[in-house]
Order: sequence, then structure tokens, then C-alpha cells
Amino acid sequence: MRRRQRPARASRGLPPGASEEKDPRYPPVVSCTLSNGLRLLVLEKKFVPTASFTIVFNVGNVDNPQGKTGLAHMFEHMAFKGTRTINSAGYAREKPALDRVEAAALALARAERSPRPDPARLEKLRAALASAQRRADALSVKDEYLKIYNALGENGLNAMTSTDYTGYVVSLPADRLEAWMAIESDRFKNPVLREFYREREVVAEERLMSDSDPNRLLWDVLMANAFTAHPYRNPTLGWPDDLAGLSRSDAEEFYRTYYVPNNAALSVVGDARPAEVVRLAEKYFGGWRPGELPSRCYTEEPEQRSEKLVNLFFKASPALRIGFHNPGMAHPDIYPLIMAGEVLSGGKTGRFYRRLVEGRQLALYAGAWAAAPGSRYPSLFAVAADPKAPHTLEELDAAVMDEITGLASEPPTRWELEKVINNYETELIRQLESNPGLGMSLAQNEAVMGDWRFDWKIGDGLRRVKPEDVSAAAARYLVRPNRTAVFLREPPEKGAA
Amino acid sequence: MNARCARLLASLPEADFRPPRGRRAVLSNGLTVHLLKDATLPVVHLTAFVRTGKICDPADRIGLGEMTAALLKDGGTLNYKAEEMDRTLEYLAASLESYLGIEEGRAGLTVLKKDLPAVLSIFSDMLMRPAFAPEKTELKRAELLELVRRRNDDPARQAVREALRSFYGPAHPYGWRAEEASLSAVTADDMKAWHANYYRPDNVILAAAGDFGSEEGMLRGLEAGFAGWKPGGTVSPGIPPVELPAGRRVFHIQKDVPQASIVLLLKALKRHDPREFPLAVANEMLGGGLSSRLTAEIRSRLGLAYSVYSYFVKKPDYGYTLAYCGTSPGSVGRALSEMLRQFSLMGEKAPPAEETARARNALINSFVFRFPTPFDLLTERANYEYYGYAPSYLDDYVRNIAGVSPEDVLSAGRELLRPDDAMVLVVGDARKLDRPLSEFGPVTELPGD
Repeated sequence: MRRRQRPARASRGLPPGASEEKDPRYPPVVSCTLSNGLRLLVLEKKFVPTASFTIVFNVGNVDNPQGKTGLAHMFEHMAFKGTRTINSAGYAREKPALDRVEAAALALARAERSPRPDPARLEKLRAALASAQRRADALSVKDEYLKIYNALGENGLNAMTSTDYTGYVVSLPADRLEAWMAIESDRFKNPVLREFYREREVVAEERLMSDSDPNRLLWDVLMANAFTAHPYRNPTLGWPDDLAGLSRSDAEEFYRTYYVPNNAALSVVGDARPAEVVRLAEKYFGGWRPGELPSRCYTEEPEQRSEKLVNLFFKASPALRIGFHNPGMAHPDIYPLIMAGEVLSGGKTGRFYRRLVEGRQLALYAGAWAAAPGSRYPSLFAVAADPKAPHTLEELDAAVMDEITGLASEPPTRWELEKVINNYETELIRQLESNPGLGMSLAQNEAVMGDWRFDWKIGDGLRRVKPEDVSAAAARYLVRPNRTAVFLREPPEKGAA
Repeated sequence: MNARCARLLASLPEADFRPPRGRRAVLSNGLTVHLLKDATLPVVHLTAFVRTGKICDPADRIGLGEMTAALLKDGGTLNYKAEEMDRTLEYLAASLESYLGIEEGRAGLTVLKKDLPAVLSIFSDMLMRPAFAPEKTELKRAELLELVRRRNDDPARQAVREALRSFYGPAHPYGWRAEEASLSAVTADDMKAWHANYYRPDNVILAAAGDFGSEEGMLRGLEAGFAGWKPGGTVSPGIPPVELPAGRRVFHIQKDVPQASIVLLLKALKRHDPREFPLAVANEMLGGGLSSRLTAEIRSRLGLAYSVYSYFVKKPDYGYTLAYCGTSPGSVGRALSEMLRQFSLMGEKAPPAEETARARNALINSFVFRFPTPFDLLTERANYEYYGYAPSYLDDYVRNIAGVSPEDVLSAGRELLRPDDAMVLVVGDARKLDRPLSEFGPVTELPGD
């Protein structure tokens, strides 16, 4: 890959502590860490006068307290509800009203979860909560945060919660740089979690949407069954009972613990001068106080010793999902496993397509990924495949397993490995075309994996993989005692055994 | 909002971006090319618009065009066997694609600069001399048949597709869907004839951007690559006029799923109707974003939905405005009432000046995001030429949106967003609904498969 053109002035005028990446293997990202621990990444790119802004916090669904799954995602929704000055008609008056909402909600939750709830009392408490909410609503400015971005010309204003991290993204015309700094620093320094309980209903609808889609349901069921102890088993939207019990107080506690500058990375990619970004970040984010982060040692997933086969009954076409525990991104065996996934499922020359879709014609498609659902902890080497009628799930499963175990007896050819490397390297170049995509990659890798260069370094690891390494990794990890398979089938006829 | 933030926002100008034109040329065989050199990265992108589409299928061969377009890529060419194409392209990490949209055929290519000559040769052969290898044809047919079997697995997608089918009628090309019988009927001769009719150089507009040396050199390469491609003779079927009855129609598909889907459809505009600008502002206000009325009311205020939005689509004949809401079966009645109420409000009184300005600004300030890269810009230029817009359409867009007044939005609401003429389709379990659908109009039950 050739060295990209870099603007000569990118590094000019950078404040002390900020530096531009000079190694030609990487893009010329300017990085710096503020004194409160917030990491900044800037890549100047010109064509249109726009920039993509991303903040990633190293906190996700794995970090929820026991009994509060879905909390990380719930907070993400609340981060669109404004601050003490945005969405508020006057916080001094609004705060006591919000406190009364919280007191009413907690009283209702206690009553709902008592051993023998009294329906009449519940009705009264619900009415009290609704009334408190109405009074608080009257003191807020509805959706002001969203309206500000709407008028600024936002593109792709969004947020995402994964198992590992929570990311907040927006693209704006480039001259909105300072506006973004002002709004987002306020957003994360002074959030007010108003409208919490109505938003919890919105998330409950998001959960229903997910449960209506067989593909999402399959992944949830695979994770819940493959992991027995590690929190990767929990759905990001939360278990329904946990979600129904989340309170604003829970979300505030979660915010105080994890939404600190030393747990975040911020990236700006596009038409923005790095020195200006660093100067404004100092001005707006500099006063944000760091915090002490808790240990993130969660129950290590014990070794799986027996194959798990799960039937998911759902009214949809048959589908198969398989997961094998992997050793995690920090383990050297991850590279041959990534390679294995690509050799199996990379394009029409991948083994799955050549042999299962085309050769034996029993799959509509089949794909493999080395690490799902996350990267912070050991996760799953995952396979997804759908059978093509009249072939059955059993035939498909047997054929998929033949190909996977076949990696041990039939190591990848040099051609297969070179193809994977070529595609990976091209992907790294093409990643630079999209400002929001690159912004997310930089911030996420910095916040979660500790280095924005992570994707490029994976490439280095892949180049060292030898055919026999892939065979050895397949023989070690992609084996039946280490696997969970979920079969989506039509529900059995009523009355059938 | 705090004072510092307010001052900052007040001082910001409207985003002003004049997209570069690129270069337009016509090859000797009639193929139109839009070109822009961009050496930022060692990559070249091409995309071709081919004047055809799913609406051109013969009525007894629905799916013919889709199958043909897909097999250009998968079925090999005169000079490259399919396996050889796949191996070359995938080893070089080049992506080549061909597919059919409702009103357009598309073929595209992304390749590293160093591999452009080799891959361009495959690309041009694919467009000019496809081979439709029999075993690849049967494989593609089996894939499309499996997709027909799976088409109702996602209830939200099923709802939108079936709503459009009921709206335009299953006999009109805008309401068509491929079926087992129509796909099974497609022959190799059908595909060859389809290809020969539509894939002709004077029926194609190509956009190319990237690090291809010089524009002159690229044009010479395209002349050479597409030499011998004969122009002329394309025959396109006429589309029967769209006939949409006035008045409310309600359709229901019985399905026991955790979340019900509501789709609301209204007659909108023919392409090139100048009312698209007030309708764009009205739609932005109604359901275009997170702060729109539908989202603010149904999601934020009532907590009834995660996903609720609206958009509109222009077509040669009447297009449509579509609103979608996913909600639990027990709230369908409440959510649907609120959707209809919000449509009704759009035609009752002119929106506040502030809300109109915000909707206009949202469209104007985000305009620039249509062209994040030179290739995206050229694709837009080619797209507008393909759909017959004036050459200045893109350049005038901002001015046209800026001229929309609250009264214009009200007129658009009165003419185009009348809930009394809305067609409604619900996919969900009728036994769990909070209100019977018959309260919203005469209900037609549709089969769920």
C-alpha cells in the first residue's frame, strides 16, 4: 500500500502533547490525551466541508450490574434527553419535579415487586407517577437537543450500545466544530435523565422489534446458551424483567461510574484542522473531572465440555447458528481463527460457497466470524447458515461441520491465505473513504482495544499465519465439545410429541 | 440552552457547498460518462446506470430482469469463465456487482488502481458479452426461489412490501413481486433477449471516479474497453397508468408476532413535479428525523414505538408517501390514531415559522452529505441525468428548499397528506389489538404467505 497524501500543515501548530503519526503503514492521525485522560484522534480529510464526530466510552452491556442487564443501552437512550440547560425550561424548578417522578417510580417498583401486590394500590401509584411525569414535562423543552442538531444539518446522529462499548456519532458541516464541542461536552458533563420511564417503554418496544426478527432472536439465543457464566450471555437490550425494573437512579449511578473522560476516546475525521480540534477539546472537555474506574474482571467463562444443541421454535424459515468459544483477541491463536473464518466464508471462492452453496447446493448462504459478540473478553467463533429447501438443518449442520473439521486435514493453500491478506489490506484502504466509518473505528479501537491502530496490527498478525496454524487452531477450538448450535425450526404441530 | 451555546448556534451560517461538476463525455458508441479524477486513495470506482428495471419484466416472467442482472456477474462471459472471474476478482480484492432496481439496472466496480486494466476488461465483458452458464443459471434460480420462500420471515419487511402491493394493486408493475411460477418460467433465451434489448451503450450512463491517472487516459480506456458494443434498438414496455381509489382502505395480515407493523400509504408525486420541495419540507417535519412530529409524539411522548418514521418516493407515475410504525399489538389502535391525527394536522393549519425553518435548514444543511466522496458526487450527477432532471437540479436544490414557506407546507399537507385517502396495512395478531381495525375503515384480510 502506498503512502497516502498527507496535508503538510496537519502537524503545524500542534500544541505540546499532540503528535502526528509518521509511520507510513498508518494514516497520519493526530493524537493526544488531555490531562483528564480523554483521548483525542483527528484525521484531516478534504473534499466536502464536513466532519464526522465520534465519542466512544469503554462501557457496554458486559458492565451492567447483576440484575440490571440493559442498563448500558438504557443510558445510551437517555443521553439524547438533554442537560441542565438543554431540554430544560429552568433546571432549578425542574429538578425537584424530576425528583418527585423518581420517588413515585421507586414506590411503584417496590409495590410491583412485593410478594403480593395489591392491584388497587398499584393503580394509585401508577396514577401518581403519571401525574408527577406530567408536571415535570411542563418544565422541560421537548426534544431540544434533537432540534438543535436537526437545524445544524446533522447527518447520521445516532448512538450504539454493544457488549463492549457505547458510541455516539454525528456528522456535521465542518464549521459546526465548536458547536459540537459545546453541545457534546455539556451532554456528558451535565446530563439530566428526564423522561426516563417513558423512554423505558420505547426500549421495551425495541425489544419487541428484536424478538419479532428471527435473525436477531437467533443471535440472542446463541449467546444465552453458549455462555453460562460470562456476561456476554446477556442481551444488549436487557432481559425483560431487568429492563422493566431499571430506574433513573440506576442509570445515574452507572453514568457516574463509567462516563468519565479517562474512559473515553473522541475522534474527528474530515475537514477539521487538528490544532483547532485539540484547542477546542481542551476548552470544552478539559474541565471534565476524571474518575476511578472499577475492575472489569467478570466471571471467566468456564471451559465448555459438552456440545450444546438448542431448538428455537419460531414461525420462520429454518436457520442455523453455531458458536465455538475462542481464546480472545489477546491470544495469538486468534489470528489463525480469523484466517479460518475468511478461508471458509470469504466470497464465492470461499469453501462454504464453493462446496455448500454451489457444490452440494444445500445452503442459501453460510458465513463465519472469528469473534462475536465482542472483543474485550474471549467470545465465539460464530457461523451462520440457512438451508436451501428441500435440504434440512441436519444436512446443513453436518456439511458445515465437515468443512470446519476439514480445515485440519486440508490446510489452506497459499492462494487462499494470500487472498485473505489482499482483501484485508484493501479493506484498510477503503475504510479511509468513509469519514463516519473511520471515525468509529479509530475511537472504538482506542477506547476498547487501547490503540487506534488495532485494525492495522491485526493485519500484521494475519500475515504471519501459516497454513498449519489454521489447521491446528481448527483442531483445537472448532470441535464439538466446544460448540453450541441453535436450530431455528417451525413450532411443532399442537398435539405432536 | 445555555447562553454560550445559544450564541454559538446563532452565529452559524447556512452550510454553503457548490458541488463540483466533474466532466461529462459521450463515447463514440453513445455511452455517457461522468468522470472525476480523485487521487486521495489508490482506488477507482465505477457505476453504470442501465435504463431498465423490475418494472420492465413481462407480466408472466416477473423476476426475469433481476435474474438476468445477477447472472451478468455470476454466469460468466464469453471471455471469462465464471470461476475464473471469481478467482481473479476475489484474489485482487476487487468488487464487481450487477443488480436490478425497480427503475434501474446497476453495474459497478471498485478496484485498486494497480488492477484497473485487468478488472475493467472483466467489467466491460460482463456488460457486453454475458454467457449465462446453465449451471449458474439454475443455482441463481434456486437462490431466488429460496428467497421467495423466506420473504415473510421479517414481519416489518413483509408489511412494507405487501402494503405497496395492495396500494398499487398486484397487477400493476409497481406492486409486483416475483413468484415461484414466474421465476420457474424464465429461460436462458429470455435472459439473452432481455440483455440484448437493454444493455446497450446508448442506454447506459457511467460514473467513474478515483485515481485513474488522467481523465483523457480513462476515456481512452473506456473507448477501447467498450469498443464493438452496438447502440440502438432498445424497446421498453409502457407502464399502465396508476389508478388509486380515493377514500380509506385497510388491509390486515394475521400473524402472531411480538410486535405488530403498521404501514400507511398515500398517493404522492410524479417525478419532476415542483411540489416535491414543499412535500420534502412537510415530510421532514412530519416523520423525517428524530425530532419530527411522528417521532416526538408516538415515540417520545407516548412511548408506543421505537421505530416510527415517514418518507416519500417519486415515480414516473404517482409515487407514494409511506409512514411506518412498529408497536406492540395492544397499542396498534392508539398508535394508528396518532399517526392519522398527525397527517391530518399537516393539512389543518400552517406550521409555525420556526418549525418550517428548522425543517428547511435540516434539508439544506445536510445536503452536502449526499456527496461524501467524489465518487458519490458523480453517482448523484449520473443518477439525476438518468432520471431526467434538469442539469442544474442539484445546484438549484438548496434554493428551491429555501423558498418553501409555511403556507406551501400547508398546501402540500392539504393536497398530499390527507388521512381520509390513506391506505393502511397492519401485520399482527388481530386477537391482541386494542381496537378492531374496522374502526379505521373497511378491512380486507390478506393471506400471510
